[in-house]
Amino acid sequence: MAQLEHHDIQGFLLSSYGHLPCATYLLLRISDVASSRQWLARLTDEVRTAVAVSKAEREQEVFSVNLALTHTGLSKLGLDPAALATFSLAFQEGMAAEHRARILGDTKDSAPQEWHWGNADNPVDILLLVFARDEDALEAQLRQRRNDIVAARGIQEVSALSAGRQEDTKEHFGFADGIGQPVIEGSGRLSRQLDRTGHATVLKAGEFILGYVNDYGVVADTPSATGMPDFGRNATYLVFRQMAQHVAEFWRFLDDATRRSDGTSDQAARERLAAKFVGRWTSGAPLVKYPSGDPHAGTSTLNSENDFEFYENDGHGFACPIGAHIRRANPRDALGPDSQTALQSAKRHSILRRGRSYGHRLANPFVEDGTERGLHFICLNSDIERQFELIQQTWINNTTFSGLQRETDPLIGNHDKTDRLFTVQDDPLRTRVSNLRSFVTVKGGAYFFLHGLRALRYLGSLKDSIFHYQTEWRDE
Amino acid sequence: MAQTVLTFITKIDPGKVTQLTTLLEQIESNQSSNPFVPFASLKGLHFASFVIFDDGDCGPDLVFENNFDGALDAYLEDLLRHAGHGLHGIYSCCLGYTATGSYDRQKMTAYLRAHVVWPNAYHIGNVGRGAERIHQETTLRDRIEVFLDDLVTDGKIDEPLGSLRQRIQQFVSDDPSLTWAINVRPRQTIIEQFTPWAKIALVAMCALLFLPVLIPLAIVSVIVLRRHEKLDPDQFRPVSSAHVQHLAKREDRIVQNHYAGIFRVKPGWFRRVTLRSVLWVANLIARTSTRGKLMGIPSIHFAHWSLIDEGRRLLFLSNYGGSWGNYLDDFIDKASTGLTGIWSNTTDFPPTRFLVLDGSRNGPRFKSFARDKQTATRVWYSAYPDLTVQNIDNNSAIREDLFTSLDETAVRSWLRRF
Ligand code: HEM
Repeated sequence: MAQLEHHDIQGFLLSSYGHLPCATYLLLRISDVASSRQWLARLTDEVRTAVAVSKAEREQEVFSVNLALTHTGLSKLGLDPAALATFSLAFQEGMAAEHRARILGDTKDSAPQEWHWGNADNPVDILLLVFARDEDALEAQLRQRRNDIVAARGIQEVSALSAGRQEDTKEHFGFADGIGQPVIEGSGRLSRQLDRTGHATVLKAGEFILGYVNDYGVVADTPSATGMPDFGRNATYLVFRQMAQHVAEFWRFLDDATRRSDGTSDQAARERLAAKFVGRWTSGAPLVKYPSGDPHAGTSTLNSENDFEFYENDGHGFACPIGAHIRRANPRDALGPDSQTALQSAKRHSILRRGRSYGHRLANPFVEDGTERGLHFICLNSDIERQFELIQQTWINNTTFSGLQRETDPLIGNHDKTDRLFTVQDDPLRTRVSNLRSFVTVKGGAYFFLHGLRALRYLGSLKDSIFHYQTEWRDE
Repeated sequence: MAQTVLTFITKIDPGKVTQLTTLLEQIESNQSSNPFVPFASLKGLHFASFVIFDDGDCGPDLVFENNFDGALDAYLEDLLRHAGHGLHGIYSCCLGYTATGSYDRQKMTAYLRAHVVWPNAYHIGNVGRGAERIHQETTLRDRIEVFLDDLVTDGKIDEPLGSLRQRIQQFVSDDPSLTWAINVRPRQTIIEQFTPWAKIALVAMCALLFLPVLIPLAIVSVIVLRRHEKLDPDQFRPVSSAHVQHLAKREDRIVQNHYAGIFRVKPGWFRRVTLRSVLWVANLIARTSTRGKLMGIPSIHFAHWSLIDEGRRLLFLSNYGGSWGNYLDDFIDKASTGLTGIWSNTTDFPPTRFLVLDGSRNGPRFKSFARDKQTATRVWYSAYPDLTVQNIDNNSAIREDLFTSLDETAVRSWLRRF
């Protein structure tokens, strides 16, 4: 089993900072290189590492700062072109590249041209993740970070994405979130995950941390830089998508789709169909285990049970539809040719989800209030193409996923084409919901690199290429 | 109805590559109504492609891939009727095409026949289903689905299973535009089904018979193979980003994608013989695969392997459903043994042991290899751009069981197909 180098790994890679419920993500752009490097060098000392702290220490913890860079950010800081070419192609091109937008389903309202940030009009170099214990601590941290940024004079704030305080672990449509999560071998989280969800998929460290053996039994190519061949070690790729959720549109659609023949709303049918979209009841209780109703209906109890399979327990999708969000996002044993191979294969397309909701809860879920709300979707993976992008393209937005036709993920899929369906398998006969709309719009996004601490120091200490050039010239 | 899988491979006049490229671009940008090769008019065509391979010393080759219903003669006739003049333009850029001046049907036929390359091994996902049948069964399914939507809305689904099914049967019989659905021809004739197994049995019998000779031969082969494997150079050159970008830009426009690649067989007769034998066995086994899967991979419509240039190069073409990444992952996760057995005989493949071990199991490296050897497809046509092999099989099964007599369990599982 791999020994993780906790002192070099950023804390965010191993923890979602549940004890720090307030967060803001600062998106920054570099305008002056030299001062940005100095700023980075100073900041690196404050970056929270993954070194384990005692329970008491954690309770004392007030804030946590982590930092990731885009490809343009690395280039501006002066990483040489040869080094820049050692990163994954997806990262080099960025999320907004034309054919990436196509495979990710970012079209029409979600097209990169429409984004608030992350596109050509408003590029981003740095992502500063600030987490804090409460609003005051967050405020204080942000003030200090902004002072530093202003003092550095070479950095502009593109946007401050506030994730605010998480009231609970429900996302805006009203469903418990953050249940299914893989466990990194050697991270010491196995027993916690088992206690919490009754299930754990343990994956080799290399699936989420570069420089370690992955699920293929090899250490994948890791970015390298002049003088630091293991530049990418202890790092990971961070996928960020700001996804606005159209909550009222979602619930009104469900309401319309489930009206009784006399035209009145049918609350039970509506909630049932919503659960079929997700694959879990709003409490989080999985349909595979609770097909007939939410065991916690009418209470605020949350349920994080995760010990079930699809093919084995619900092969036909009578409980959890074949096309439900959680069945697409992680088909487990369902895709054949046999359960064992399917499980093994699905495992290789896992992501660590680290997203948090933003915006206020909609007071009346059927009436839009004109403000934006959604999910700052963040996930971590060592291979963007094989993990995040495959899930998004081959599972979530695939119109022929697992034998289906003309449907994508009902919850978050691209429904720009007007004939999109959602099939709810049932015995003896399925029902089909038609004319689905896109209930989510992408508002911005980018691929970042969440460096190891040594690599951050390396970047902070880089000298101008002009300088190199001059010394070489003088040597001659 | 049986399908035929073949390519026409011709040498391009090096001075006319640009001219040909422009012509192919015109076809690709207007597949449905270009004046050169109007694919949609070719009745029995499933998938077709044009690829230009410029492989250094081997000179530029034009590969014209065809996957169609029935035999070559009838197809050629149809092809030339619709695309004769267009092909004349294309092959005027190729060597050995002597029909200078205007198009001459006889000469074109002779030219194409002279350049047919039959694959050493091939796979067909939806065995026995002609292109027309695939279209018809898609319509049938769509129509029944809409009918079922109404049944559901009208609250008819609480009826007994038998009467649900009767309603569906009634709906189909009552519709004059669906009468073709009633009589179904089997996907394969008894002989077609039986032959591959008979061949395998025959081969097995011969093998038993010659066992005393084969065992020492096998031992020697393994020793020689291991020597080769140890001596094969292990140089890994990651694929260039520019090349991947060039390929990826063309992909993911429809439900399916295309792979075209030429691989150099490792030098020496030993590898050539090995590869030829492996493909021969693969083809024998592939003929028994009638359930849509190639070594566990469920997404391939048509794939071919052809040894060209006296076995010095291996051409691989595949028309598969889903994304490139998913396709390659399927290869790695589900079919490592088979594909390593084939590709380990070609250069730059990740190191192997005993022909089929390791190799593609090194996922990242295998993917880099596969991208590196891939060539951008210039023109690619699919007759059913939103269907997967699974979709087609399901649609066929719906129709095949529509009027047969089924017991209650079978009716239940038939209804699950919607
Ligand atoms: C606004 C956008 C989204 C919403 C509201 C949302 C909501 C949910 C909910 C309610 C669950 C079930 C609870 C759980 O298992 O944690 C879930 C699970 C999951 N989602 Fe999403 N999701 C969103 C976007 C995405 C995206 C973009 C991806 C990946 C490309 C994704 C991947 C997953 C995965 C992998 C799971 C866990 C499945 C499992 O292991 O069972 N989600 N999501």
